[in-house]
Amino acid sequence: MKELLIVEDDLEMQEFYKDMLQGEQFLVTLVPNAEEGLKKIKEKKYDIVILDILMEGITGDRLFALLRKESRYKEVPVIMASVLDEKTYRCFQALGNVSFLEKPFNKERLLNEITKRLESQK
Amino acid sequence: MFINKKEIILSINRIIFSSLDIRKVYQTMSNELLKVIDFDRLSVTLITENNNLYETFVLSKDYEYTNLKEGVLYPMEGSLMKRVVQFCEPVIVDDTSKGRFLTDTVLFKEGIHSRLGIPLEYKERVIGSVNFGSKRKDYYSKKHINFFLQIAPQLAMAIENTRLFNKIKEAEEKYRTVIETSPDIIFECMKDGKFSLMSPSVEKITGYSADQFYNNQGYGLSLCYKEDQERVQNEILKILNGQNSSLMDLEFRVVNKQGIVLWLSLEALPIKEGNRIIGIEGFCRNITERKKLDELKDNLIRDVTHELKTPVAKMEMAIDMFERSTVPGNEHVFGKSSQIHEILRNNVNRLKNIIKNILDISKLESGTELLKISDISLVELVDQVISELKDTAGRKKNVLIQQLPLNIPIIKADRDKIHHLITHLVDNAIKFTEHGKISILGRILPNEVELTVEDTGRGLDKKTRERVFEKFYKETPSTFGSGIGLAICKNIVQIHKGRIWVESEGKGRGAQFKFTLPISTNNN
Ligand SMILES: Nc1ncnc2c1ncn2[C@@H]1O[C@H](COP(=O)(O)OP(=O)(O)OP(=O)(O)O)[C@@H](O)[C@H]1O
Ligand SMILES: [Mg+2]
Repeated sequence: MKELLIVEDDLEMQEFYKDMLQGEQFLVTLVPNAEEGLKKIKEKKYDIVILDILMEGITGDRLFALLRKESRYKEVPVIMASVLDEKTYRCFQALGNVSFLEKPFNKERLLNEITKRLESQK
Repeated sequence: MFINKKEIILSINRIIFSSLDIRKVYQTMSNELLKVIDFDRLSVTLITENNNLYETFVLSKDYEYTNLKEGVLYPMEGSLMKRVVQFCEPVIVDDTSKGRFLTDTVLFKEGIHSRLGIPLEYKERVIGSVNFGSKRKDYYSKKHINFFLQIAPQLAMAIENTRLFNKIKEAEEKYRTVIETSPDIIFECMKDGKFSLMSPSVEKITGYSADQFYNNQGYGLSLCYKEDQERVQNEILKILNGQNSSLMDLEFRVVNKQGIVLWLSLEALPIKEGNRIIGIEGFCRNITERKKLDELKDNLIRDVTHELKTPVAKMEMAIDMFERSTVPGNEHVFGKSSQIHEILRNNVNRLKNIIKNILDISKLESGTELLKISDISLVELVDQVISELKDTAGRKKNVLIQQLPLNIPIIKADRDKIHHLITHLVDNAIKFTEHGKISILGRILPNEVELTVEDTGRGLDKKTRERVFEKFYKETPSTFGSGIGLAICKNIVQIHKGRIWVESEGKGRGAQFKFTLPISTNNN
């Protein structure tokens, strides 16, 4: 089973993720901030990391930039999820292996994005 | 009285080539000419390029020092000069009292009675004239002209040279002042990366002296922020290769001597020698401040966008969740519906709060709000706020108390607004405090009352203290709230002619929001 790590500080958003991914063929880990996200990433290799952008403490974009700086995590596939438009995240595209998911999204969009990401890793 | 012509030319030449100071040149000329042609007044006039005006340098043997009237321009019309230039031939005036030229009348008053004007030619152009004046009538004759015409070409050349040199020197001085005083970095860099010019301002901006740039090839690029280096290098190469004819507003970062990252903007052109590009010249402006402001603005827009779009997005997702849960065969319906209901209610409230705050601050800022002034008792108002927020405070395990002096005077104010103000301060205190204590304190000052909402919560660092009263500012963008609350508070206090501020020992050490309201006197 593919393993997903979702870093999201909004409790309601966490509920949406749980609801949408329930019954799908993924092992989902949800953490509420970037610090814990980083801890998880260090422990284990995830197939995909979904990052919220505006979070208390380290923001999602900062965490992403941090990951790309370390060779070990250079390749971790990332999906950035935010209500902000794609423009705000565009500068991160250059860092590679990342796609953007605009909130709100529905179940199909989420699964679609995850599948696309997984396929591009092959 | 005529000495050897050769001798004079020699002496004039010697002086002329030893000095390029126009005063010295004229003085020497005056001294030397006096040996051969007697005069009481000598002037050199030079015409401007458009031939309409002339500049005069007057030298007189009466004066101990040569008197130079520099930089004053006279019209050609009516002058002896005009005639000399027009016909390119010497002119003699035997008696200035006759007033043949306008200038005769002027000179006559100065005691000059006869004149001789001789054209100065340089490269087949009349550049001006040398004019002699004598106190004696009928003094000048053909022999003076003949003699002088022999040395005139040398004089003309010397004068023109001096004049050109001075022009160049002036231009160069101006250029140098520009370079030395410019706040921007002005530079010239050769193709091999060697700087041929670097203005001193570079030291103010980067902390590295101009010499360091002169002595190290390619020094500029090495200061470039790593991630910008390639981009800058490519743009410069495009200029050097002739692919691009100019660089406009190329923004990049450098790291200064203190290790601080600065933003610079570069404008540059190629340096050409004939058709060949041999280098690049231009200037760099420090745009760090502007960049910082841009960033603040961008962050603000980002935070407001986030705050407005998040509740809407979540409501949309809740509706989607609801629709999926009603699909026949889905067993989770019951658990879901109360969850969905709660999410919807939360986010409607969140949106309502933002919309209300935006409307409130707009009304306050437009200045159209009328205050409904009445006598109010702060003690009573504070008690009301406490009873309204006690439960909310309790939910976060906070104690909420008031310690107001009983003799706080009745003040004149808009009750609803002051209620809103205190409520909001207490609301914030609860929001940023857990398992703590929130106290509302009061003091009576000479002309005002001071109220303090004190909490034991997360506190504020200096940067946050400076900005909390700004519209939309939140220390953490993702926390619930519009960031307008305190801006509204500030407005309310200000229209009541009071003051509001925040004190805090720092992060994690609680906060004290304080405001004052004037105590009404009898006459208002
Ligand atoms: N008592 C407090 N302790 C610590 N920080 C505070 C306190 N009150 C306000 N702040 C800081 O000031 C910011 C601005 O407060 P303000 O009341 O203007 O907006 P808000 O509470 O975030 O949102 P809203 O407009 O919905 O009230 C807060 O986000 C918080 O960072
Ligand atoms: Mg508030």
